[in-house]
Amino acid sequence: MDTNLIWLIAMALEAAILFRGLRTELQKRYLFFYCYIGCLFLIEVLRFLCLSVTPNSYGAFYWQTELVRIVASYAVIFEIFKRALRHNPGVARIAQELLRVVFVLALAYAASDLLHGGFTSFPRATADLGRYLLYVEGALLLVMLWLFGRYRISFGRNLLGLTVGYSLVVALDVVNLAFLSTPGKESSVGLRKLIPLTHLITLVIWCASLWSSQPEPLPPAERAIDRDYALLAAKTRAALAHLSRRVGRTSRP
Amino acid sequence: MSGLIPIVLLGTLILIFSGRLLVQWSRQSHAQVVTIEDYTEARAALDSVFAETAAIKRIFATDDMEFVSQEGVGDVQRFFLKERKRLAIQWVRMTQKQVAHLMDLHLKLASYTYEPSPRAEVKLTVTYLCFILASNGVLILLWLFGPFEAVRVVAYTVRAAEYFCSEVTRRLENIDPVRLGSARQPRSV
Repeated sequence: MDTNLIWLIAMALEAAILFRGLRTELQKRYLFFYCYIGCLFLIEVLRFLCLSVTPNSYGAFYWQTELVRIVASYAVIFEIFKRALRHNPGVARIAQELLRVVFVLALAYAASDLLHGGFTSFPRATADLGRYLLYVEGALLLVMLWLFGRYRISFGRNLLGLTVGYSLVVALDVVNLAFLSTPGKESSVGLRKLIPLTHLITLVIWCASLWSSQPEPLPPAERAIDRDYALLAAKTRAALAHLSRRVGRTSRP
Repeated sequence: MSGLIPIVLLGTLILIFSGRLLVQWSRQSHAQVVTIEDYTEARAALDSVFAETAAIKRIFATDDMEFVSQEGVGDVQRFFLKERKRLAIQWVRMTQKQVAHLMDLHLKLASYTYEPSPRAEVKLTVTYLCFILASNGVLILLWLFGPFEAVRVVAYTVRAAEYFCSEVTRRLENIDPVRLGSARQPRSV
């Protein structure tokens, strides 16, 4: 497909997401996400203008705006975290601790790699910084997805679409930027052609899942749950111990 | 190029986990909230798997097999063995399913608690993984050898493990703390 056509469709989809967000009032619920989409839309428009007016400076401009986009995308991760775990204080606490550790580790790894590589030029340094920020973001997202899966966190349709779309774009961006930074870039030609299409698919997922406001999972009634973890863990442990005793008894002739 | 591997792995894992999230969402009934009552029911269901202990023991009892071997013709023996194998496998699978359901509810309820303990969670996960490993091992044994031979292997393994544990405990009790203390002293050359 023609690159310009993909570009224009992407901008149209971003505008549609923003418009629907205002109409359905979802922008109040997912404020950070809509700020990110607004930022994305603005960046796309500026890039388009830059390519049309001063094509020679487009390369440097692209990497600078890419860095801004990556920094802005941290707002989405925060939004997912905030909305998904609002009824699960325990998991939120564990997630906070884990994310802090992962953030520090990933940042230390990225910083050492960045300093080790040296600064050849400003655009190159900007591109590298953006890439490392994306790696950190990928690591944070991975931990969050693992926790959501492990604790079977309930998602509404809106938040699920937001999370899945975001995961798709981060996963492919991480791999794409890693390939781009390696000396033999020819191995990533196919992937680079695929990236605009995946961005488009992500926007379609977001547009479809956020087209209308869907009900979110209800919080459990206080009397129906137990907030005491030690008691719950003791009960499960007892059940498993009881089970192993019964199995042992059954296996005896 | 070797630096690419962790990054590609990271990207792949993100895709896998988000796919898992989708599958999880499509399976669960969205509006339903898990309660302590569901959990109690799951525990009762797990107990019910073992409610008829005598009947379960009968599946693995060799007396019936011996009787059929003496009295029955080849076809009857084969049919009997096939039926018992099916029953035994069904029982193990039912137990697996009930335990998985209980763990599922435990995790959902744990997410609502104020201060889940990561250490306790890790311990429970290890116990659960051991159960999955052992029960799948039993399933393989059932498939390969049938219920009667399989139960012999399981009983032997359980007995061996018990013997090993008791032996280790006995040895630990026999260790002289004074000698243990001197062993910790740095050796003089």
